[in-house]
Amino acid sequence: MQKIISSSEQHTEQIACAFAESLRGDEIIALYGDLGAGKTAFTRGLARGLGINDGVSSPTFALVHEYEGKYKLYHFDMYRINSFDDLYSTGFFDYSGNGVLIIEWSENIEEFLPDERINIMLRHLSENEREITIEGAEQYENSCS
Amino acid sequence: MKILAVDTSASPVSAALLNDGFLAGEFYLNTKTTHSQTLMPLIEQLLKMTDTSLDQIDIFAVNSGPGSFTGVRIGVSSIKGMTMPLNKRCASVSTLEAMAYSMPYTDGIVCAVMDARCSQVYNAIFRLDNGSVERVTEDKAMSIAELENELSYYEECNIYLVGDGADICYKAFGENLPTVYLTPQNIRYQHAYGTAKAAEKMAEQNKLVSSDELMPFYLRLPQAERELRAKQQKENK
Repeated sequence: MQKIISSSEQHTEQIACAFAESLRGDEIIALYGDLGAGKTAFTRGLARGLGINDGVSSPTFALVHEYEGKYKLYHFDMYRINSFDDLYSTGFFDYSGNGVLIIEWSENIEEFLPDERINIMLRHLSENEREITIEGAEQYENSCS
Repeated sequence: MKILAVDTSASPVSAALLNDGFLAGEFYLNTKTTHSQTLMPLIEQLLKMTDTSLDQIDIFAVNSGPGSFTGVRIGVSSIKGMTMPLNKRCASVSTLEAMAYSMPYTDGIVCAVMDARCSQVYNAIFRLDNGSVERVTEDKAMSIAELENELSYYEECNIYLVGDGADICYKAFGENLPTVYLTPQNIRYQHAYGTAKAAEKMAEQNKLVSSDELMPFYLRLPQAERELRAKQQKENK
């Protein structure tokens, strides 16, 4: 487990960008954090780290956005997903294993996520500062501070 | 009679042409490509290479479920699209049954099992006897533990596992079910050939449907079922 303090939104993106370098291409990354904690900023940074320069926005309505980079990146938003049937009909299970999956509002589908995943918790410390906790990425320790 | 069969129900994609019961051609891929991009070129090439035109096809067969949400929809909507203007008959084949039809070369029990994630599987049991396939159980969704329990009733027979859930089940059963065998790769996964063979049988039994009637077929998973019951109970209070 690793804890990093981010001083700003840009810093969160930089941390995510560096973190992206350690990915193998088939990870499931579950993001946790309140509104404004930086889940989308983290995803934007991670996408940049994978060489994706398209504008990254939260797929609240589309449920999933796909990006082509060093690996395929599937960006999910589970805010409106409340049951297994909902999750199944997003095609979520069809995506896993075919790229990096990064999931906002993982809280809603936590029980259906595989144990083998990376958890990233973003917590407000002050207006700009966030505490970023990375769990389950032990093999990447020290690679993204 | 010509049967064009396709499968996109899970990770592999395949298309086969059966010509009066004879397998004239089959394309099969199991890469990470998207079926919506591969299926149509496969069908086009298959028809071209076998010198067959679409209107010569008598029956269009598809594995209409169980399977992956998008995969099943890709196969079913492709076949719907091809049959609607031509007004041809369709065979809505169970993916699990198609797998059993890929291997009736031996006697025993075939357990077709697909990985439905979260330790759940789709499965159906078939009895193979001298080249015939007889369905023993309906297509069902259950946990791997429940399947192990169910298979213990057939312990006097050899049980052959097919499908993309075969591997995880084989490992999970371990020593508990000594007569369970893992089939080799070339017959383990669903192939459109099996879909075509199942369709041939359905045609004999007058079980074909129209383009309109062809629909995706999904099984609700036990986990979703439990959730739904809990929700209903809450609402009734």
